[in-house]
Amino acid sequence: MSDSIIGAGPKRIDGQRKVTGAAPYAADHHPDNMAYGYGVFSTIARGTVTGLDLDAARQSPGVIDIFHHDHFPELHRSPSSMAQGNKVEETRLPFEDNQVHYEGQFVALVVADTFENARAAARKVGVSYQRDDNAIANLDQGVKAHGTQKGQGNHERGDAAGNFDGAAHSIDVTYTTPVENHNPMEMHASVASWEGDRLTIFESSQGVVQQRGALSKIFGIPQEHIRVESPFIGSGFGSKLWMWPHAVAVSAAAREIGRPVQLVVPRQQMFTTTGHRPETRQRMRLATDERGRLVSLRHESINTTSFTDQYVETCGSVTKSLYSCPNLLVSHETTRVNRGTPTSMRAPGAAPGLFALESAIDEMALAAGVDPLEFRMNNYATRDESQDLDFSSNHIREATEKAAEKFGWQDRNPEVGSMRDGHEIIGYGMAACNWEAIKRECEARVSLRADGTAYVTCATQDIGTGTYTIIAQTVSELTGLPLEKITVRLGDTSYPKGPISGGSWTTATTLPAIAAATREAIKELKGYATGEKGDFAGVDSDSDSLTFENGQLTHDGQSVDYVDVLKGQKLASADGHAHTQGADDKYSYRSFGAHFVEVRWDPGISNLRVSRVVSAIDVGRVINSMTARNQVEGAIVMGLGMAHFEATEYDARNGRPVNNNYAEYVVPVHADQPPEVDVILLDYPDLAFNEFGARGIGEIGITGMAAAVANAVYHATGKRIRDLPIFKEKLMENVPEVQSA
Amino acid sequence: MSDHHNNEGLGVETFDARSPSRRRFLKTMGASSLAAATAPAWAQIAQAGQQQKEPVEPRDDGAPAEGEQQIQLTVNGVAHTLNVKPNAVLLDVLRDRLMLTGTKKGCDQGQCGACTLLVNDTAINSCLSLAVSHDGDEITTIEGLSQGDELHPVQVAFWAHDAYQCGYCTSGQIMSAVAILNDDNIGSDDASVREAMSGNICRCGAYKNILAAVQDARGKMEGAS
Repeated sequence: MSDSIIGAGPKRIDGQRKVTGAAPYAADHHPDNMAYGYGVFSTIARGTVTGLDLDAARQSPGVIDIFHHDHFPELHRSPSSMAQGNKVEETRLPFEDNQVHYEGQFVALVVADTFENARAAARKVGVSYQRDDNAIANLDQGVKAHGTQKGQGNHERGDAAGNFDGAAHSIDVTYTTPVENHNPMEMHASVASWEGDRLTIFESSQGVVQQRGALSKIFGIPQEHIRVESPFIGSGFGSKLWMWPHAVAVSAAAREIGRPVQLVVPRQQMFTTTGHRPETRQRMRLATDERGRLVSLRHESINTTSFTDQYVETCGSVTKSLYSCPNLLVSHETTRVNRGTPTSMRAPGAAPGLFALESAIDEMALAAGVDPLEFRMNNYATRDESQDLDFSSNHIREATEKAAEKFGWQDRNPEVGSMRDGHEIIGYGMAACNWEAIKRECEARVSLRADGTAYVTCATQDIGTGTYTIIAQTVSELTGLPLEKITVRLGDTSYPKGPISGGSWTTATTLPAIAAATREAIKELKGYATGEKGDFAGVDSDSDSLTFENGQLTHDGQSVDYVDVLKGQKLASADGHAHTQGADDKYSYRSFGAHFVEVRWDPGISNLRVSRVVSAIDVGRVINSMTARNQVEGAIVMGLGMAHFEATEYDARNGRPVNNNYAEYVVPVHADQPPEVDVILLDYPDLAFNEFGARGIGEIGITGMAAAVANAVYHATGKRIRDLPIFKEKLMENVPEVQSA
Repeated sequence: MSDHHNNEGLGVETFDARSPSRRRFLKTMGASSLAAATAPAWAQIAQAGQQQKEPVEPRDDGAPAEGEQQIQLTVNGVAHTLNVKPNAVLLDVLRDRLMLTGTKKGCDQGQCGACTLLVNDTAINSCLSLAVSHDGDEITTIEGLSQGDELHPVQVAFWAHDAYQCGYCTSGQIMSAVAILNDDNIGSDDASVREAMSGNICRCGAYKNILAAVQDARGKMEGAS
């Protein structure tokens, strides 16, 4: 396979469009006669809209209409079923009533002829409220006010409680993680146009098929009358998986005024009305025997959800199967707060869950007097004990060893604060990473065209992971056509149904469908070639002796270019359509890896930096080495943000977000990039999972990262930070006050 | 208008930007020949490239309406005369009026850098700048960097190094990189580039590859100039 294009690192086929500004994102679309919407958002977290003063806004230049709870068409809720293909996270419709459930909720939508006019008028809308002073501002307040509800994804085996007391070593610690926001660079945007009862919407969406299904239910029109297009997305990280209220509002507005309308969700409301990773509190109780083998493991989490919907952050999803432990309990509960509905954010469940688990493993190892690396090696599971299944492919030990060796873990002096370089104290930390591999059903179409090109369509999206390119690589592999002869079209519900771009399941889901469709097209081509007008008339088209390679059909030493087959019969193309199924349940399909992190802490100036990261990742086969590496490197950066900076803060008095912008919600910038980031991709094909052996790569890099940093920080400073993010202030606590003269 | 911003002797301001004759002249000659005399190498490419793009023609030759002001913007070497409201932001005017949508809006409050472009060779956040304050200015956007199919060295390097994922911050990253590579006050070492590029957020976190692309392009640009 050395000359295979699968596994090579060709540059992206959509790269030219991205570097020239020609790639069309949702708000780049300007259909004729388009108007602009601008939202008015609630400034209280809980209460009732009692009045709207619209006079000044209506008289503002260019205003066409102003929508609100007393002026909005009657719509229907989506059942919000992923299986039905109509999932939304916030089921309440915009302007459904006058209730306010969170700060930053749509309370009005101004539509005007220009963006400037819409924005100016929106700022003139007066809203009066009956504020409910019992707004629930955070997880603690929610639990105190009304307790918790049970979530899903729970698991119990053995007797965790009974084997905790009396164990040789044990810890009982609680970790907390804050609200984090996806903050994709592109703000959520929709451009909606109607022709009669047919809706076309350009949306920044990770799931056009699900959005079409939801719009169909909400507007009560057939799916065939709705086209959702999302050829390019300024990423999403989960926030664009499911449609949010803005898309419903703008679609309704466009229908009402009889003009296309564009609506962009302002950055501030990207913190309120388009989802977030919820706040979590996770109690970890671990115990080992004398030799440091886990005998009891409990991971009990609570996350915040909204008053309108139930969202469970499955923090214990990885805990069930990463380590071998006969007595284990994983439970998830939620509590309601006055925030918008949370949603999946990159590695949902696993990202906050592995902060807790992998920090706790570090603490447990130290309590048992075992090196954290050795502790993991001793306790990694060899099969999935939660499902009683073998792993399809698991190379976590090799990943851990390889990364440790490259990182230089053996040089670590285990004594806290013992490793110094000038003013700086160096800390080494490590953590495992883990993510479920998922493969769903998928459809695709491939045409081998008489002009010597291939044309590939699937409704799935490329959110920046490189889906366009790996699909082209797949077709190239099977046809021999060079990448430049292969056109890939994605992100459009006109195409065969494709999956959401999320959960790291796009690659494993789409490539088998693309391959099957390509084979169907080749089969059709062979049918033409062996038909009565064909070059190989009379040959059995299914015969193994009729081969297709590098664009050539060959039989019995005679070769014909496939283009000539088509041209000879005046045919435009040979087409193949495929519908492939999801994964079986013969194995537990997961991806594995390990992060090693070096931090440098300068206590004199309170400076904390991650200076080095070495990660080894086992995601099955890598389809494109360049884009795959980029995914892990980017996830490491986001993991550093989670570790160091990211937290949406809410005013405990009233539930209002206080840092809902890109400057005060701090994300990593160029200067935060560690000078050394080294990613090792193990590249063991997982052929039980799919024919390409690929498991997907978008999420795993962020899992475990925050714990690896926290463990390194502990090693450097002796401070165990169990509450993300690791602000420097937390390391400065207990610093003696400077004595003034 | 001819007295505005006679910038660096580029020469184009000696023509009345609003007159049809200037537009004909530009179409015939191409702006590159005008810019060639004094502009740096990347700027020549920037202005020449626009000739291939067929931007939206100026359409506000009439008198401005009440509350509007007429301004002249030379964007990627092409003059546009526009009647704009005082609250119209440069970014929105480029995107919504001139349909130059390559420049992106990431936050609309100067925090992310996605809207970075060059005004008279200086990189700015166009979301923070009112259009009326740019009367007579020379603006270069991502659409103006390439010369037909020939990409600017920074664009070539971004593509080759996979210096993006979703691509949404890419226009701004590239425009900042172009400005940095032409700024003698910014060191060429990795730390200096990281610091100088820190106004451009890449939420996908492709910073390692962006740095590699900028440093790679540095060599190419020096060779070209």
